[in-house]
Amino acid sequence: MVLYNFKKIVVVPPAKDLIDIVLSKTQRKTPTVVHKGYAISRIRQFYTRKIKFAQQTLHDKLSQIIQDFPKLDDVHPFYTDLINVLYDKDHFKLALGQLNKARNLIDNVAKEYVRLMKYGDSLYRCKLLKKAALGRMVTITKRQGANLTYLEQVRQHLARLPSIDPYTRTIIICGFPNVGKSSFMNKITRADVDVQPYAGTTKSLFVGHTDYKYLPWQIIDTPGILDHPLEERNVIEMQSVTALAHLRAAILYFFDISEECGHALEEQMRLFESIKPLFQNKPLVVVCNKSDIVNLNNLSKEKRSVLKELENDENIPVMEMSTANNQGVMEVKEEACERLLSYRVDQKVKTKKIDSLLSRLHVAQPVPRDHKLRPPCIPEAVLQRKQSGERPVRAKKLERQIEEEEGDDYVLDLKKKYDIEGDQKYDVIPEIWEGHNIADYIDPEIFDKLTELEQEEELRVAAGMYDMKLPPMTESLKEIRELAMQIREKKFLLKDEALINKQCTKPVIPRTAPAKSRGRSVSRLKNEMEDLGVDMEDTENAHFTKTKKRGRSESRNTENKRQRVDVSRARSNSRAPRDEMGVANDEMKFRLKNIAHKAISKKVGPKGLKGEADRFIGNKMPKHLFSGKRGVGKTNRR
Amino acid sequence: MPQNEYIERHRKLYGRRLDYEERKRKREARAPHKDAEKARSLRGIKAKLFNKQRRNEKIQMKKKIKAHEERNIKKKDAPAPEGALPHYLLDRDVTSRAKVLSNMIKQKRKEKAGKWDVPIPKVRAQADSEVFRVLKSGKTKRKSWKRMVTKVTFVGENFTRKPPKFERFIRPMALRFNKAHVTHPELKATFCLPIIGVKRNPSSPMYTSLGVITKGTVIEVNISELGLVTQSGKIVWGKYAQVTNNPENDGCINAVLLV
Repeated sequence: MVLYNFKKIVVVPPAKDLIDIVLSKTQRKTPTVVHKGYAISRIRQFYTRKIKFAQQTLHDKLSQIIQDFPKLDDVHPFYTDLINVLYDKDHFKLALGQLNKARNLIDNVAKEYVRLMKYGDSLYRCKLLKKAALGRMVTITKRQGANLTYLEQVRQHLARLPSIDPYTRTIIICGFPNVGKSSFMNKITRADVDVQPYAGTTKSLFVGHTDYKYLPWQIIDTPGILDHPLEERNVIEMQSVTALAHLRAAILYFFDISEECGHALEEQMRLFESIKPLFQNKPLVVVCNKSDIVNLNNLSKEKRSVLKELENDENIPVMEMSTANNQGVMEVKEEACERLLSYRVDQKVKTKKIDSLLSRLHVAQPVPRDHKLRPPCIPEAVLQRKQSGERPVRAKKLERQIEEEEGDDYVLDLKKKYDIEGDQKYDVIPEIWEGHNIADYIDPEIFDKLTELEQEEELRVAAGMYDMKLPPMTESLKEIRELAMQIREKKFLLKDEALINKQCTKPVIPRTAPAKSRGRSVSRLKNEMEDLGVDMEDTENAHFTKTKKRGRSESRNTENKRQRVDVSRARSNSRAPRDEMGVANDEMKFRLKNIAHKAISKKVGPKGLKGEADRFIGNKMPKHLFSGKRGVGKTNRR
Repeated sequence: MPQNEYIERHRKLYGRRLDYEERKRKREARAPHKDAEKARSLRGIKAKLFNKQRRNEKIQMKKKIKAHEERNIKKKDAPAPEGALPHYLLDRDVTSRAKVLSNMIKQKRKEKAGKWDVPIPKVRAQADSEVFRVLKSGKTKRKSWKRMVTKVTFVGENFTRKPPKFERFIRPMALRFNKAHVTHPELKATFCLPIIGVKRNPSSPMYTSLGVITKGTVIEVNISELGLVTQSGKIVWGKYAQVTNNPENDGCINAVLLV
């Protein structure tokens, strides 16, 4: 769990980019087409929307920035102080405050111009008002340029800060520069802090994590501090001071007794004394580093006397350690962890919460119900084996043991224990073959079934079931067969044709159309009849060949025209009624009537109509024809 | 966990990738081509913005080149004019008679121009139809004697509206302004000053009485903030200023102080 995650802060764009983002977004996300001829209210609405949209976008962007940055009053005092040290609290607060102010100003500008827009009486005026409004908002944003760049820098730095949890088990390493703090850090954690042989390599706080007693521990490496008053400390030193001041942690104070760091032991002692107030009420361990060069025992007397005071204090353990040869490193860590753990438990016991916790705890101690002993039941054989101390021998060898025995000659064989006899177990069998799962088709009795079937078949063959004798072909039989073939073929063709005709949606040529256009001709009739097997020879003068010729009709002969003799004309045949056209006899007429009746009733019945002539209108006012305006188009669509 | 200056540290330990310099050089060399491609392929507003920025950059670059070139060339001093004076005679009174003369002419012109010489002498007249909108009134909205002012107006503090029956001119609240951005032409500075009243609207005296502010209107502003002092030592607080923009289009009043 990360309590303070400063990595999530969204990038703060510089003022110019912010303006570009907002304006282009406004352009993209609002309508762009407006005309002079529109109703003035529509024009006003068009531009008002633009103003409001730009304002909302800017407002959102600024709010996002303001919200993302940590509120100095809400975060842990350690972070408040750290931010103060690194970025200057006043500057930080001022920047955020000014952004907040700018946000309000932008809101007001938008409100004001939206109000003015109500009195815009032309497209031009509305447009200019919009332009002015956007311009003013942009100007306000532009003035925040310095703040935005500052905040962006802060964001980048904040994101790189180590994520220190101020509430967990923490160990802080502090001391003069170049005394081996970072080397110790690298020894007990995997933080990989830069270690260099010169002073002041570590310039900021570093965090590493280690395990002790199955608990995670947080180790903080601080930059080295020099011994001077608080006011003179620089930013780097102030970071360590904030960590020491605000984190409830165990503190490791590092001495360099070899004095290789360039500071005398007395100086180091003085620093210890001056920052001692920061160690109050915290478990403290004093570590004498670089014991590979000089250890405490062969230290000169004057030097030893400097440390005397510390060694006499019972509460402060003084430990020797060398990060060069790893001596005492683990001991130091364990000591610090132990001390912090007991300290934290003490603190917890002191709080009020502990009462409620203790009242919930109950250690159950069952009372014996009688004096009978109920020891655990262990089989005799097991007991014996346990006493003799021999290990049970496995019946089967493990694959692993075989591998160890054979060494390099060992080949892993997964199939050797399959139940299949012989070499068959090494056959390659696919799991899926041609899209079928092989397992689905496995039938254990397949061979039995096969042999059974074969036997049956043999019996049948023996019984002569398959020796059939064909009757001999006679002449007439052949003819019949041929004819049948022809008929079948014709039927098939007709069926196909009918199917095609039925599907065809082309307009049907009515029966009243001239014979020619319907494709009716003498030659066709002849062909068809011949196909059907009718003898069409000697039909040159048959009546059906007497058709009308094309071109001028003979009756219109000029000679005939003049010959107008009054001859009474016989009454021409009137046309038969439609339902009697082409009907041969009464029987057929009756049948057709029946068919027609059925067809009509099929159409009429479900709709509840009176008869064929009853006009049915399903929807008298179809919505799509009666809603909305009629354009320039047709009446039947809108 | 990466922390603090981990990027720099990594670079220090392992260096950059081997072709970093090469890639960088190539990228830089390609940049003009990429820009040109962009300039050719962009459309619409993006193209406008991009080209404007590009043009500015080019101008700056050319200027810089020119400046560099100029620095390299040694300029020849202009040859001495006919009848030039040696330097020890330069501050005699022969010098700027011409200057005195021109000053005098300027002075005279100024006097001639009269008191009401304003920065914007000619203004387009505002027609009634522009300034007023007819409001329909009455139960059946048949009467149209009411007018609403659609321009920016100044309304005094203690103005109370008449009862609707007698209110012929309505000045909407949204269009009432009481501050103006006034530029002092000599100080070259602009201040946001409260308006005291409308002195004259050149279009019509009725507009003046209504307090309509359009371009060219002379308004009286409170300049006590500026702390100008009269010759007798009193603080001047009211001065005239002429409106230089169309307030109804810009949503603010810009004016020049008449000094």
